Amino acid sequence: MTQSDGDLSGIRVLDLAAEPGFFAGKVLGDLGADVVKVEPPEGDRARRRGPFWGGVVDAERSLLWLALNTSKRGMTLALDRPRGRELFLALAERADVVLETEAPGSLAARGLGWETLHARNRRAILCSITPFGQTGPRAAWRGSDLTVVATSGNLYATGDPDRAPVRCSLPVSYYHGGLEAAVGVLFALLARDQSGEGQHVDVSLQAAMVMPSIGTAAMFRMNGQRGSRVGAFMHAGRTIQREIWPCRDGFVSFALRGGPARVPGLIAMVAYMDEHGMASARLKAIDWKSYNHNLLTQEDVDFLTREFGAFFATKTTAELYRAACERSLMLAPVNTPREITGSPQLAARGFFVDVENPGRGTLRYPGAFAVTHGARVAIRRPAPRLSSSRACASSSSAAVPPARSPPATSPTTARR
Amino acid sequence: MIRVESRRRPDFLRILRLTPTTPGGVDGSAHFAVLNPNKLSIALDLSRPEGVALARRLAIAADAVAENFAPGAMARWGLDYESLVRERPDLVMISTCLNGQTGPDRAYPGFGGQGSALAGFNHLTGWPDREPVGPFGTITDSLSPRFAALLLAAALVHRRRTGAGQHIDLAQVEAGIVCLSESLLTYTANGEILTRMGNRSRHAVPHGVFRCADEDGRDRWAAIAVHDDEDWRRLAGALGHPAWTLEPVLATVDGRRRHEDEIETRLTEWTATRTAADVAAHLQAAGLDAAPVEDFGDLHDDPQLAHRRHFRTVEHDVLGTHPVETHAIRFSAMEPRIERPAPRLGADTDVVLRELLGIEAAELDRLRAAGVLE
Repeated sequence: MTQSDGDLSGIRVLDLAAEPGFFAGKVLGDLGADVVKVEPPEGDRARRRGPFWGGVVDAERSLLWLALNTSKRGMTLALDRPRGRELFLALAERADVVLETEAPGSLAARGLGWETLHARNRRAILCSITPFGQTGPRAAWRGSDLTVVATSGNLYATGDPDRAPVRCSLPVSYYHGGLEAAVGVLFALLARDQSGEGQHVDVSLQAAMVMPSIGTAAMFRMNGQRGSRVGAFMHAGRTIQREIWPCRDGFVSFALRGGPARVPGLIAMVAYMDEHGMASARLKAIDWKSYNHNLLTQEDVDFLTREFGAFFATKTTAELYRAACERSLMLAPVNTPREITGSPQLAARGFFVDVENPGRGTLRYPGAFAVTHGARVAIRRPAPRLSSSRACASSSSAAVPPARSPPATSPTTARR
Repeated sequence: MIRVESRRRPDFLRILRLTPTTPGGVDGSAHFAVLNPNKLSIALDLSRPEGVALARRLAIAADAVAENFAPGAMARWGLDYESLVRERPDLVMISTCLNGQTGPDRAYPGFGGQGSALAGFNHLTGWPDREPVGPFGTITDSLSPRFAALLLAAALVHRRRTGAGQHIDLAQVEAGIVCLSESLLTYTANGEILTRMGNRSRHAVPHGVFRCADEDGRDRWAAIAVHDDEDWRRLAGALGHPAWTLEPVLATVDGRRRHEDEIETRLTEWTATRTAADVAAHLQAAGLDAAPVEDFGDLHDDPQLAHRRHFRTVEHDVLGTHPVETHAIRFSAMEPRIERPAPRLGADTDVVLRELLGIEAAELDRLRAAGVLE
């Protein structure tokens, strides 16, 4: 199936965002918006950060840049100079959306803030992604993934009890916040159909990281639970239960909790173990009809943990996941990119795409974040090259690379 | 927002912590309550043809349909996209599960704990010398709803402009992998597997979480990120230029990386005697990126979340007054609205069927007596 226009075809986005906003522009571009990445003349900071493709330190080879700026065209503008500012405003007059991640007030100090933008283009939407939001007592605070996750409750509850709270080593707040920003842009676009006016959309990364604790923050007022770190375990009912289990060659995720939906998987697991002669009489004697993880004692949990743990130790992650798929065991391997790129399921769905990066070769990417008839979500072009972006900035005010270009990607297999 | 529910097979969160003594039973789940405000609930028995017929009429009347059953379940009821679109040509519908609607492992059942592991988040979270952990809260369970909201909004934008609907297949594992594109590309480009590194960063040193003075018997911590050499000079100044910070080798990020253990020990000596709030305020005043680590109780005293009115209060029949969260977006001309608490199971069956489908009271009585309405 060839790639279609996408739902946001014709929506023009000027993307001034640094790393915290890369993902917002990428998902809008993958949905079909015409996203133009506006970089300073020296290039975005992320271009100077490794890892670099092939280990070659080069502004065109930063893998962070290449990963999260797909489906964007590029140009450079010196927003600290009058000419650059005027060019930006001229472009903004014809844009639907401006996306930015500057400190609150920083664009306004250069005469490019919401009031100016709104005066020049009543329909334009300005979306600002910042650590703590545009106003308030901490609006002027510096922040980054580590510090916004720290102030969300999520960090305190992640990690081992005998060590410091710990974050995911990639910046999940930028993905959460980027999605929230893209949703905010679309809500503002829908509202504009009625009002005819754009809005300033203010996204706080801190606030975006509260919901990922799945309601636990609000529940504090009902249960008094401040959160605690239990490592590879989870609190469930009155007990602490293992979630991440060592096996022969790695780790798997498996749980005893989960209500009635979990029970068929537990029954199937015991049957699987029994086929290998590793289900004890006591394990086989459990009455699963009356099983309720909330009523287990820690002694019950420790017994089950010993039984399942001893079995997992004899199996590889691949064996266990194959059995999980065939027998509905509700168990999953702790995957690295090696297992992910080798997944038959992802291959069958044509998830990975090979993206041609001009002058550098082809690189395999995770493809669309959702599947629709006609591939309406897709990587539409590689991340922009700094050399091309500079070239179009020096030609004329409206010159950005052509919106249409030959297909940049080829699915590794057919996708729907 | 109308939730179509079942009393015989209640929602996962309604029964996750249910015991025989839970006040309110399936209506007494705090977890369900904090995640489902602003919704109406209708209870149908989908094992009866008349129940399915009502669900079908609701789907045809709705602006969009969202479901996360195992692939094939909707088709067995005749409620899948292909069936519904025949009556509603501009239908917008999203189906979401872990592995997606197609492929050999589409039927694989799992929760967010499995999604997080499959997508690669667990491998990247924790300490390099220890087993991996999940980011608290099974992260694909929080990313996927945001992807779903984005996709539905885009589909509605598109339908307004063209009149065309669509069916969206959101595989939660795939969407999570797209977030981690940097890790995937590092492998496909260089064969290198990025792994968990505690709180350290490949680009910034020091970058960590440091023990502060205990308060009320609780462990307290501060997060500090020194992004570049200029930040390092600011940090040295904020500490009062103690001798160890003046070592020339520490002036560059490469030098600091070689002495990262020692820097972390020294910094902890400084933070350990101070409160987390003082550490953060002092370092922010010096222009640094630092913050107190807040637990779930602290969030209710957080001045910035209070300024944004992140939490709003609702009055729940069983649970009483309790907070719920708003989203993280603030608009210059729209305000987030929390208009009602999470519904009791089936609380709105009559009003929804009457107002949306025009079903009369006598017919509602008949359907209830027949067990179609639960």
